[in-house]
Amino acid sequence: MIKETIRILNENGLHALPASRFVKRAEKFNCDISLTKDGIEVSGKSIMGILTLACEKGSKVVLKCDGKDEDDALTELRKILEGQD
Amino acid sequence: MARERILKGIAVSEGIAQGSAFIYESKRIDVFKATVLSLYLEDESERFEKAINKTRQDLINIQRHLNQGIGANFAEFLDAQIMMLNDRTIVEEVKKRIREDKVNAEYAYHEVMNDYANKLAESHDSYLKERVADIWDITSRTLGNLMGLTHSSILDIPDQSIVIAHDISPSEAALINPKKILGIATEGGGRTSHTAITARALEIPAVLGIEGLMGKIENSESVLIDGDRGMLIKNPSGGRVQFYRRAKEKDRQMEKTLSPYCGMPSKTADGKHIDISANIEFFSEYAHVRKYGADGVGLFRTEFLYLTRRGSPTEEEQFRVYHALAERMKPEPIIIRTYDLGGDKVFSDYHEANPFLGWRAIRVCLDDLDFFKMQLRAILRASVNKNVKIMFPMIATYEEIKRINLIFERTKKEMRAKNVKFDDEIQTGIMVETPSAAILAEELATQVDFFSIGSNDLTQYTLAVDRGNEKISRMFDHFHPAVLQLIKRIIDSGHKANIWVGLCGELAADPLAIPILVGMGIDELSMNPASIPRAKMVLRSIAVSTCEELAAAAIGFRTALEVKRYMRRMMHEKFPSIEKVTSS
Repeated sequence: MIKETIRILNENGLHALPASRFVKRAEKFNCDISLTKDGIEVSGKSIMGILTLACEKGSKVVLKCDGKDEDDALTELRKILEGQD
Repeated sequence: MARERILKGIAVSEGIAQGSAFIYESKRIDVFKATVLSLYLEDESERFEKAINKTRQDLINIQRHLNQGIGANFAEFLDAQIMMLNDRTIVEEVKKRIREDKVNAEYAYHEVMNDYANKLAESHDSYLKERVADIWDITSRTLGNLMGLTHSSILDIPDQSIVIAHDISPSEAALINPKKILGIATEGGGRTSHTAITARALEIPAVLGIEGLMGKIENSESVLIDGDRGMLIKNPSGGRVQFYRRAKEKDRQMEKTLSPYCGMPSKTADGKHIDISANIEFFSEYAHVRKYGADGVGLFRTEFLYLTRRGSPTEEEQFRVYHALAERMKPEPIIIRTYDLGGDKVFSDYHEANPFLGWRAIRVCLDDLDFFKMQLRAILRASVNKNVKIMFPMIATYEEIKRINLIFERTKKEMRAKNVKFDDEIQTGIMVETPSAAILAEELATQVDFFSIGSNDLTQYTLAVDRGNEKISRMFDHFHPAVLQLIKRIIDSGHKANIWVGLCGELAADPLAIPILVGMGIDELSMNPASIPRAKMVLRSIAVSTCEELAAAAIGFRTALEVKRYMRRMMHEKFPSIEKVTSS
């Protein structure tokens, strides 16, 4: 299991488009993925869960990946959160 | 014979429709709790999965039926709904509740969705708050499927009906078929609701926000919708029907006369080209801009972006709308006007005694630079095809335009530093709609690339008349010589500085005013898309030299009445061929 604290740098926070892009990407990986903000943990493969975190630009989240391709998952998903994708 | 009764509401989409009422009720679904025997828990989960699949199929069908004209607006939220439905975490959560609490699927699903809806409703973010409506939309659809209720769909409404509804959900509004539905009346909703946007895009007469509507109309009752005046008339009397029938017949005749003009160039009889462009408020109206033959969009209002989501849209959301419109319209130009919002619309706890003389439009923007610059960036990014111009409303002083230019240049510099592409030669202009801007037009003209005269506000401010006040609204008259003299001054000042001058108020579409404006040298007239064919007909029948004489005489009168009398007489004498449109 690997995890990393990431600051959301995406211009519009993690709403709408980035959130759905995140989920679509997350679903492709063969590992468990979760996002934690303010002590609340949700599945990285759940659009509704991510929306309820209400991650604005600048907020900090912990991205956790656990499974076969956890390294690739972390690298790719970090990019979306940081708005570089 | 049943008595006639008039119900008032908000006019959101113009036109007259008469027919029999169809009460469209999305059934209120009462969720019940039942205990399920352990033996049947597996079946209960399976029943739930099937209902979800059915809902997904329903939504995909809706996407397929989507109306061409409005598709772009709706595809996105339907995608969002399908994604929410596909959320495995939710499905697993519901199944877990069924298993552990031994409850029925309806109850478990409703509980889970209710939790999510509550969490999102608490959020301060308007985008997230809005998703609550989507959650309830898919929840009631799925519950209906679980209970085997036939979902009353707007697709099943009998032909030639007037739809009477409490409200129409976003996914149903997307399905409204203009060939079947003559008119729409709802109890809820306002100018910026999905229903209003759809009705306008499809040119279906609609009146929304009618208090107590549902209790007052019965199925198959005869109703008439007046989308111009915001009225629903129940059991219209013979005289009333006659009146509307005649009005409609007249409209139809007029349309027949005018429709050939849509495709003709906007030129005077002696060959001077004057741009005739469209005022629009919603992206979906671009179809009308094309249909009526506009030379571009002379005014794209951006307030709806703000009002439909009850909060500031992000740069990205704004960019998508501006860019889509610019793409559809290219190479024709579009002029995007920055927010013309009252302070009370932006800050919920803010009120003031005189909103028209208060903190609004550019004044609000200049007090909140982050908000203002976000809109500037979105517009700049949409300008890459070089057909976007930007316009600032409610300018009253020279300092304002100096300050705007400074902010605008700084924004461009920041974008260049980040390698964001935009049109380096983008034109900026101002609305001239305050008397001070009109009087100082010569100085203001040195700071911008164009003027657009906002004749409605200019008239209100010049005559000190609030046209919304019934006691004095008859004093509002844009033919007032004081207004005409200011307009002439604005046009002359603009031309002296070599910039072009347009006009985007109601005056631009008035057949009696067009000759005066052309005589004054106006370069562009921007109006409601539907008024364009008539304006073209007038324009193509008049000669500039004659117009110049008329304009010179018109501004010399003492009253608006004298101006209008004179113009009617002159039109009769000089341009008898278009009297049919100028005398009505």
